[in-house]
Amino acid sequence: MSDFVPSDDSGAPAGPTAPLDRPQRTAPLTPLLQGAPAIPFFVIFAIGPAGSLVGDRGLPVVVVGVLGALLGYVIATAFAWITWLKRTYYFDAEGDLRVDSGVLQRSSRRLQLSRLQSVDVVAPFLPRLAGLVEVRVEVAGAGDSRVVLRYVTVAEGDRVRREILAKSTEATGPQQEESPPNFLAGVPSGRLLAGLLLRSVTVVLLASSVFFIAITVLTQGPVGLVFAVATGGLPILIVVGEFFRYHGFTVARSVEGLRLTFGLLSTQRRTVPADRVHAVALVAPLLWRRRDWVRVQLTIAGLGTESAKAGRDVLLPIAPRDEALRVVAEVLPGVDLDALPWVSAPARSRWRSPIQWRFLAYAVTGQVVAARTGRITRRIQVAPHARVQSVRVSQGPWERRLDLASVHADLAPGPVEVIAHHIDLAAARPLADHEADLARDARVRDHPT
Amino acid sequence: MRGYDVEAAFAAPQGSWTPVSPRLATARRSLLLIAIVPLAIGGVVLGFVGLATVWIVLYAVVALAVLVWAWWIIGRRVGSFGYAERADDLLVVSGILVRRLVIVPYGRMQLVDLRAGPIDRSLGITTVQLHTAAATTDATIPGLLPDEAAALRDRLAARGEERSAGL
Repeated sequence: MSDFVPSDDSGAPAGPTAPLDRPQRTAPLTPLLQGAPAIPFFVIFAIGPAGSLVGDRGLPVVVVGVLGALLGYVIATAFAWITWLKRTYYFDAEGDLRVDSGVLQRSSRRLQLSRLQSVDVVAPFLPRLAGLVEVRVEVAGAGDSRVVLRYVTVAEGDRVRREILAKSTEATGPQQEESPPNFLAGVPSGRLLAGLLLRSVTVVLLASSVFFIAITVLTQGPVGLVFAVATGGLPILIVVGEFFRYHGFTVARSVEGLRLTFGLLSTQRRTVPADRVHAVALVAPLLWRRRDWVRVQLTIAGLGTESAKAGRDVLLPIAPRDEALRVVAEVLPGVDLDALPWVSAPARSRWRSPIQWRFLAYAVTGQVVAARTGRITRRIQVAPHARVQSVRVSQGPWERRLDLASVHADLAPGPVEVIAHHIDLAAARPLADHEADLARDARVRDHPT
Repeated sequence: MRGYDVEAAFAAPQGSWTPVSPRLATARRSLLLIAIVPLAIGGVVLGFVGLATVWIVLYAVVALAVLVWAWWIIGRRVGSFGYAERADDLLVVSGILVRRLVIVPYGRMQLVDLRAGPIDRSLGITTVQLHTAAATTDATIPGLLPDEAAALRDRLAARGEERSAGL
C-alpha cells in the first residue's frame, strides 16, 4: 500500500498499558489510514487538469496517475499526522471522558459519562486490516454530543469501552459485573440475501435494472453496456450494500441491554439500552409473508429521525416471526404481540382507505397501545403507555362523511408511529381519553417519586 | 346512519371550551389585506393595459369573492380554537375542515413557548405552544391575551413540575 511503514508501531504514549487518566494519542498508524481516501481525488486531478499540462511532455497517463496518487497520499497523510499529534484523550478527575484536538484552534470536549447513551466499537474495512478499530461515544444531550476515537488498537478500544461503561455505572448506580453476552438471535447469510431480494422495492429496482440495461443495449448496441451498468447497476449496489452492512447480524443479551453485532467489511457493535426503547414495529413486506419473516424497528429516545438513515433503528433486519417476538419480549417485557385484543376499523372505512382497510386495527392493553396498518407492507406498531407523549383525535372531511375519526398516540421521533386510522367516531373520543389516562398512570407507576 | 354526533367527539370535558380572543381574527384579516395588495395592483395594471371592461369587472368580482370567502373562513377558523384544563391534562381543539383535538398530560410537557409577532403585539395577543418529547404533538393556542397567556404558561409550568417524571 505504501512504501513507508512507521518503525515505532508500539507507539510510545498509546500502549494498552498506559494509564487512562493521562492524555494519550490514538494509534500511530491512524494518519496513514486517514490519508488513503484522498487518493482517488488526486488521481482524477492528476490525469485531468494537471495531466493535460504534464502530458505534453510525453508522460504516459498511468505514470501521471500513480505520481498524483502518491503525492496526494503524502500530502493528506502529512495533514492527518499533524492533527493526530494534537489529538489526545483521557479520563479526567471527575471520571468524564475528555478529548482535546485542533491544530490552530484548540478544542477540548468533555463527555459527561453519567449521561452516557452508547459506546460502539466499529471496525471499518481498512483499519480492520491493520488491526485497528474506532470507538464512538454518545451522551444524551442536544446537538453534537458524540465523539469518535479514530483509530485505536482492538485491545485499547475494548479497554476504553469497558472503562467508559464502568465510569458511567459508577456515576449512576451500583457497579455491575460484565457477563458474557447471551446469544438471542442471528441472521444467516442465505436468509439475509433472500430477504433483501424479496423486498418489493428490490424486485421493482431489479426489474428496472434489467429494463434499463436491455433498453440501452438495444438502442446503442453493445457499446451502451458500459453506460447501462452505471445506471442499471445502482439497484444491485443498494442490495449488495445492505447485504454487507447487515451481514452476520446477531442479537445478544448483556447487562447494559441488547448487544447487536453486524457488518461484513466494517463490523459494528451497538448496545440498545432496553430502558430507552420508546416503540417497536414489526414490518412484513408482501413477499416475506409466505415465509413468515419480519423486520423489527425501534424508536430510541434521543436518537432522532436522522438515525434511521444510518440504520440505527433496526433491531433485527430479517427474522422468522417467533424469533422476532422473542427479541421484542426483551425490550417490551410481558407484552405478547400475538395476543393483542385487536379492534378492527369498521367496514365503511373501505371508502376512505380502499386498499388497507381490511388490515386496519388498534389494540389497547394494560401496558401498551398498538396499531396495525398496511396491505402490501404490513406493520404492527407498539408503544408502552409510559412512552406516549400526547394523544390526538383528528377527523378529515372524508372521515366526517363516513362517521370515522383517527386517534394518534404521539411518540418521540423515530420510525414507529401508532395511529388508529379511521375508527368508529363514537369510539374515538373515549379511546383518546382512556389512552391519556393510561399514559399518565403508567408514568406515575414507573416513577413513584 | 349518523348515530353519534361529531360535536360529542370534540366536546369540551366539562362546560365549554375557553375560546381565544377575537383579536386573532383581526390579526389574520390584516395579514389577508396585506396579501391582497398585489392583487389590487394587478387589477389597476390590467385597467391601464386597456383590457376590455368585462374582464376587469370579472377580475374584480372574483377577487372580491375570494376576499369575502377568506374573511369568513378566518372568522370560523378562529372560532374553532379552544382549550380546556383538566386536573391532569390540557386539551386543545382546532380546525373546521380537518378537526383536531389534542390531549397533553401535564407530566409530559417539556416546555411552554410564548410567541408574538409584530402584528400580534400591536393587537395585544400571544401564541402559547406546548412541547413534549414527541415532535408530532400539535398543541398550539394562538390569540390569547398576554396576561391570560402568561398566567396559562405559569399554571402549566407549575403542574408540569408537579407531575413531571423525566423522559
